[in-house]
Amino acid sequence: MASIQQSVGKLPQRLQNFFARYPPQVYSALVAPRPTPPEGEVSAEQNLPSPYTPDREAKGAQKQDREAWSFSKSLLHNDPSNQNPFLPRKIFTTGKWIGPRYGLRQQADLVKLAIKYNVEPLLPPGTKSTEYKEARLAERGLRIKGTGIGQKVKGHKWERTMEARLEDRRKAMTEMPEMIRLWKQRGHGRGWRQWPKR
Amino acid sequence: MAKKAKSRTIAVRLISMAMTGYYRTMIRPRVHRPLSMLKYDPVVKKKVLFLEATKGGKAK
Repeated sequence: MASIQQSVGKLPQRLQNFFARYPPQVYSALVAPRPTPPEGEVSAEQNLPSPYTPDREAKGAQKQDREAWSFSKSLLHNDPSNQNPFLPRKIFTTGKWIGPRYGLRQQADLVKLAIKYNVEPLLPPGTKSTEYKEARLAERGLRIKGTGIGQKVKGHKWERTMEARLEDRRKAMTEMPEMIRLWKQRGHGRGWRQWPKR
Repeated sequence: MAKKAKSRTIAVRLISMAMTGYYRTMIRPRVHRPLSMLKYDPVVKKKVLFLEATKGGKAK
């Protein structure tokens, strides 16, 4: 904790203010408990949708389980006694939600500043943190077709057949001098037999 | 009624033998032998052999 005190002293005013209000000893991602998957729970990684748009009307089509446990979700730790300023909160008596103390834009600013000064782990866990973003990317993959391992997109026909056509052309061009020689030998086409089909 | 007379000339297609899909259309007398010539193919950017493509597959 002494190192935390030291590093906080040299930070820009904005981060210093933040850490004064939300001391890392209490709020930071360092002191938050590491997420562990509960027993017998299917994590969201296992029932992810395929990268291709699923047919929602199809018989037996599975919906994505939004309640399933996932690593990224459980990173967003919220201790009720020390409310995480980066996360919204539900008041159970009224059933209403209160927004986070710091909006997403301010969070992003703080995270960027913290990364610059190498103190990102001292911030509370939030959706803008590098760890959360990495975990989420690992779970969901890039949302672009064909970028995953073993995936490919169909493409246009000219793209699919390009290699074979170029190979044909290359082969034809290597045989071209011999063909022309033969053609000249056979009276410029007089004795030619193999006319191409249309 | 008598059938309409066939024209004396026909349009033929000369296909590049570089397998680029490039072709030229020419007109030749119907009774002439099939055309073949060296011509420039802009796809491979070279002079290559062009041969007349037979319609329906039977070579004359």
